[in-house]
Amino acid sequence: MELYGYKCKKCGHLHYPYRMVCKNCCKNEHNEFDPVPLPRKGKLLTFTILHNPPSDYEVVTLGLGIVELDNGIRVTGQLRIPNPKIGMKVRGEIDVVHAAEYDKQYGMVFFKA
Amino acid sequence: MRNVYVVGIGITSFTRLEYPLAEIAAYPAMMAMKDSGISKIDHLYVANMGAGRINQQTGLASAVIDTLSLTPAGATAIENGPASGASAIIQGFQAVASGMHDVVMVTGAERMREVNNLEATDFVATLTHPLAEYIYGVTLPSLAGMFTRLIMEKHGVTSRHLAMVAVKNHANAMHNFFAHLHQPITIEAILDSPEASTNNPFVAEPLRFFDMCPVSDGGACLILASEDVAKKINRPKIRLAGLGQATDTHAVQERKDPTELLAVRGAAAKAFEMAQIKPSQVNVAELHDAFTILEIVESEEVGFFKKGEGHKALERGDTSLTGKLPINPSGGLKAKGHPVGATGIGQAHEIVTQLRGEAEKRQVKNAKIGFTCNFGGFGNNVCCLVFKRED
Repeated sequence: MELYGYKCKKCGHLHYPYRMVCKNCCKNEHNEFDPVPLPRKGKLLTFTILHNPPSDYEVVTLGLGIVELDNGIRVTGQLRIPNPKIGMKVRGEIDVVHAAEYDKQYGMVFFKA
Repeated sequence: MRNVYVVGIGITSFTRLEYPLAEIAAYPAMMAMKDSGISKIDHLYVANMGAGRINQQTGLASAVIDTLSLTPAGATAIENGPASGASAIIQGFQAVASGMHDVVMVTGAERMREVNNLEATDFVATLTHPLAEYIYGVTLPSLAGMFTRLIMEKHGVTSRHLAMVAVKNHANAMHNFFAHLHQPITIEAILDSPEASTNNPFVAEPLRFFDMCPVSDGGACLILASEDVAKKINRPKIRLAGLGQATDTHAVQERKDPTELLAVRGAAAKAFEMAQIKPSQVNVAELHDAFTILEIVESEEVGFFKKGEGHKALERGDTSLTGKLPINPSGGLKAKGHPVGATGIGQAHEIVTQLRGEAEKRQVKNAKIGFTCNFGGFGNNVCCLVFKRED
């Protein structure tokens, strides 16, 4: 499984998350983006430890952070890092980030690199 | 464009209310009608965020106008996240300024305590990006926590500064009958004492319990009218002189510099330009302190203080009730409360009360120009308003 960025077919600008019109050239007519797998390595820009996660997360605390990947794209993801620090190197894996009854959602989970 | 005046105001207590949502919207509307002596309106705007999701009620505007027996006047509900209130005021302004209507009512209401706190937080979190934020368990407190950590690194804001905002706003709310929290707090109890970590546990590090606004029910209402109508009403002339709205990326991660709140900056600049005043001329302001950090950063972004110096102004006491520019004399969202859809109208209610000179123990002296900042999303949709007393 991969997390995809979306590359504009007109100007090559890479977006994450998906948007329908390119932020750079504003020239897309219909779905003119190529999906590109995002790199897994990056550095932690900021983070929080959430002590009251939403009710369907069966954990006591939830680590969340914004990571700048090696290609400059930023991704919000869950952290499985004991003592996170701003600027630390991290690596991402695709894993279950939210499990509702019959519906698992996958996303980026970060570990210490 | 015609001039638009606030001729009547009304508000409920921001607290847990045990009556239906339509009545929470209608009660402040009745107060505003009594306040202005107006009994007939051209249009009703109802600001609300959660009726469909947490109260199982849609089409709220129809319910409210009928509750008030004001049919067949037009009625529209407006949902724009936590900025619904000021968004509805902007719509009402446009209707009167354009000449389409002479008298409109803008009422906001929310009944969030119908669900528990976790469900209420989850409901507000649905305004985050569905795939890039929400699925990870991102909530508004967690976005605020990540934002706070960056501001602390960059500008040297500390937990003590955040606690000072909470202490100030709780103290102001003691003089506001309608405030949710009538609970004076001290830095010692929430930060320094051995019991502080019990009194004030972490919610979204580095933010603690007393950095968060409460979950409130509540409603607030303004009646807006043209100059001709306002002239006939024997109340102080408060003109809605400037309005500005701006947006930013949906997902917070996409912002070039995540420590900047560009939508706040843009909305404030537009509002000041329209009102033809400078930020330094403002006498009293209500800023959207859903989290203590936001009062500090918004006070910089709207132009009251230089970037990175909001916490220094706070330290000097500039923003306290007797300071140079009192911020959140009502208690702010922090202590007055945050019934999301009603909040922007609640802020305007406080400013009009201040400019009328009717704020009693929390009155800011000689207040002639007031400002509100209503912050939607995590800074992705922001409305700012400037009010001027004209007599």
